[in-house]
Amino acid sequence: MTFKELTRKVLLLDLLQGLALTFRYQNPKEIYTEQYPLQRPRVAERYRGAPRLGVNAETNETLCIACDLCALACPEHLIVVTSERNPNTRRKELTTFTYDLSRCMFCGLCEDACPTDCLELTQDFELASYSREGMIWDRTTLERGPQPTKYER
Amino acid sequence: MQQFLNYLNSTQTPGETGNFAWATIYILIIFGGISVAVIAMNWLERKVLAHMQVRLGPMRVGPHGLLQPIADALKLLIKEDIMPAEADRLMFWMAPVIVVITAFTVFIVIPFGPTHAVTDMNIGVLFMLGVSSLGVLGIIMAGWASNSHYPLLGALRSSSQMVSYEIAMGMAVISAILMTTLTADGAGTLSMIQIVQAQDKQQMWFLFRMFPFGFLAFFIFAIAMVAETNRAPFDLPEAESELVAGFHTEYSGFRWSLFFLAEYAAMLAVSSIAVTLWMGGWMRPFSHWLAGDTWDAFFSFFPAATFFLLFVVALAGTVRMPKHAAFKIQKAGLGAFALVLGGIGVLLLIPPVKDRIQDIYWFVAKVSVFMYAYIWYRGTFPRYRFDQLMKLGWKVMIPVGIAVLIVVAAAPAFNFVW
Amino acid sequence: MADDTKSRTAHLDLDTPESQIETYMHRRAAPAREEETYLDANELVLNMGPQHPSTHGVLRVILKLDGEKVLGTECIIGYLHRGVEKIAENRTYTMFNPYVDRMDYVAAVSNGLGYCEAVEKLLNIEAPPRAQYIRVILAELNRLASHMLWLGTHALDIGAITPLFYTFRDREEILKIFEKYCGARLTTHAFRIGGCQYETYEGFEQDVIKFCKFVRPKIDEYETLLTTNRIWVERTRGVGVISAADAIDFGVTGPVLRASGVKWDLRKAQPYAAYKNFEFDIPIGQNGDTYDRYIVRIAEMHQSLRIIEQAVGAIPEGPIMGKVPKVMKPPVGEIYHSIEAPKGELGYFIVSDGSTQPYRVRVRPPSFVNLQALDKMVRGALVADVVAVIGTIDIVLGEVDR
Repeated sequence: MTFKELTRKVLLLDLLQGLALTFRYQNPKEIYTEQYPLQRPRVAERYRGAPRLGVNAETNETLCIACDLCALACPEHLIVVTSERNPNTRRKELTTFTYDLSRCMFCGLCEDACPTDCLELTQDFELASYSREGMIWDRTTLERGPQPTKYER
Repeated sequence: MQQFLNYLNSTQTPGETGNFAWATIYILIIFGGISVAVIAMNWLERKVLAHMQVRLGPMRVGPHGLLQPIADALKLLIKEDIMPAEADRLMFWMAPVIVVITAFTVFIVIPFGPTHAVTDMNIGVLFMLGVSSLGVLGIIMAGWASNSHYPLLGALRSSSQMVSYEIAMGMAVISAILMTTLTADGAGTLSMIQIVQAQDKQQMWFLFRMFPFGFLAFFIFAIAMVAETNRAPFDLPEAESELVAGFHTEYSGFRWSLFFLAEYAAMLAVSSIAVTLWMGGWMRPFSHWLAGDTWDAFFSFFPAATFFLLFVVALAGTVRMPKHAAFKIQKAGLGAFALVLGGIGVLLLIPPVKDRIQDIYWFVAKVSVFMYAYIWYRGTFPRYRFDQLMKLGWKVMIPVGIAVLIVVAAAPAFNFVW
Repeated sequence: MADDTKSRTAHLDLDTPESQIETYMHRRAAPAREEETYLDANELVLNMGPQHPSTHGVLRVILKLDGEKVLGTECIIGYLHRGVEKIAENRTYTMFNPYVDRMDYVAAVSNGLGYCEAVEKLLNIEAPPRAQYIRVILAELNRLASHMLWLGTHALDIGAITPLFYTFRDREEILKIFEKYCGARLTTHAFRIGGCQYETYEGFEQDVIKFCKFVRPKIDEYETLLTTNRIWVERTRGVGVISAADAIDFGVTGPVLRASGVKWDLRKAQPYAAYKNFEFDIPIGQNGDTYDRYIVRIAEMHQSLRIIEQAVGAIPEGPIMGKVPKVMKPPVGEIYHSIEAPKGELGYFIVSDGSTQPYRVRVRPPSFVNLQALDKMVRGALVADVVAVIGTIDIVLGEVDR
């Protein structure tokens, strides 16, 4: 053991250095915690959160062409798309679209598969629900987003 | 009645004069004061530790979480009283009671001022060492009565740890007692009040007496007292990551809160002892170096100044509260709390109060330095292993303690005192 | 010793009805013979976990103790078993990709990298160079994140509670980069078979460089708190020693192996992705104890930063996705590909029967293999050392149980 090490050991320098560090960190400016409901976290642009079905802004028609690719791509098979052929235009039209959020792992494969960029995972990350049924989103919920319950006095 | 009031001008403790009424009042005040201190300590520990760890700590219950300890206490009181099926019921019931009683009994001899003690025993230090070491009995009982493995291991660790460190602690205490003989008449004392008065007479805290030996003895005591109260880095008996919660694993609700209360009361007790023995008890800093009426007047403003500082801090907190409807009540609460602090500050400026509060203020201020150190250690150090703890106790602390004791005992014989 | 083997097999015997399994608790309630009573026994059987603060999740260790001395251990795993390997047999190659993130959930990027490279090898394709570089950067960032989480929890196990918060604060910066890059923080699903799905976002390079500058002093801060601290040194030096020969025999990999003095790092030994383009050292220890493993991991953090800084300045232009068929049908055959995950060698063995779904996937998880050495490392030590050694092996139960 060298003299330097011995002095360090006897004068407890190793311990004092640590104490000095924790003392310095008491500065309130160092606090890293976010106070969540007040301070909203800013999620990234590419964040994979709640799913949304896009609609045409002008005509309010769905962009979904009922191609079923998202349902095929989903590893958990949680998307169910039903459609019927419109006899006039001879095109497939979307009837129902259910998305079971309770099983979703937000991998983004459905988003990648969508040919029309209709289905996308948005930045909305607050997905709590009061019931299991509330986690199964139908077409209206997916198009408009979940509507918060309004409570009144 | 007159006699009752006359006591205020007496120069003796209620115990000495046999003043039963005042002794009861003192006991109640100390009990209440310790309980409030434990509540405050709980909040402070969480807050200070949080800030050291770049966190906020409690923020939701009351402004800046000020009501959190009260909420926790209420929660603990209304929790279901669980006793393990195979527990030894009597011992399980008695263990927390013993721990609490011993932790509080020590305060009987602790002098908060020349007359502010329940009693002045002529064997004060012995009483304190004896009673505080009884606490381990409760811990062993808790560990045994739980009839479970983790508490048993925790209790065994605790008993051996406390027994070993008590020796080192005793060595340090004896050297402080020997220092009381370094006066002209050479009469030593075991009374806590007279130990402080001896420091006053020698015009020096024992911390600096025969430097560095007084300091070494204090240092040994300061380490041993952390080990004695089972706090980090010596918190092996309740090592969370090893023994889940150690001896109180099976305890919950009110019984657990008794252990909690006892732990903090014991921390306060040993810190008070360290302050009494080495840091001049109730004496204000530099009481001889910066003597004179001007300095006395200057130092007498400290209690009020402390509360005004707290008032300003609380006021700043009120102003900086987020402007949000949800914070209305919190803001008002913190504002009211600031006003209460300011009010206490004003109260402390009234001359009779100002003079009487001095001793207690300096004593509490010194103890709070130790309490801060407890939190600070906890926020910084890893935990010792059981065998390393024993090694430190037996191979370092006790030999150094004995060496210090020999020097302190032998030096006066050669008329070599500094 | 006969007693020992009996209780050892009792837990593994699945055919015995539960009422007939002779466990310690049963024995105590109704002693079979007089000499088997609890009071006469000098062994204390302590059940650590699955709900214990420092078994890193749901590991259950049954300790046989003499006082505080450990006479033997028995690890019981499977509390987090989700059948990931079986799931793979019912998913297409693309679909299985997000599941591998859920094995070692603190190093999801490395898991994804290993799987994607294994399938690419099976399909006989290669990711374009730009994708390779992005993969290296993210994988190294993930190594840092994993080591930081390890350091925080390991220090917490040994009783230092503060480093946990510092490491988590700095790990947050890495997760922010992940979130900006691929939209998820923990289970990233960052890579796809054949390359990357996401192009780097604007400011990616600056973010990474800024992070490297930010984190170096922070690592020094962890070292201030721990490296020279006498309590930390005493608690870790000479604890959980495993010799190089033993480590190789147990199949231990990663920092645990390197701390024993074996210079084996798959990034150098079998370079994958773009690792052959970068200069970095393999830190090794000498004693194979807990302290050396700590030092090795800290040094690895610095080496990772070195790799990141080299890579981020040299990301080539070009496509990020290779030529991958829309429907993946690898030829009949099998492949084993392994990478250096933060915890050790992470291998994927994939058998293809020519269909769109793998016939069998077997994962060689580093945590599972390293955990085997636990008994060797803690025998004869104290209870407190068990906790330290579980921490130093750096296990993630999601990966052990899969």
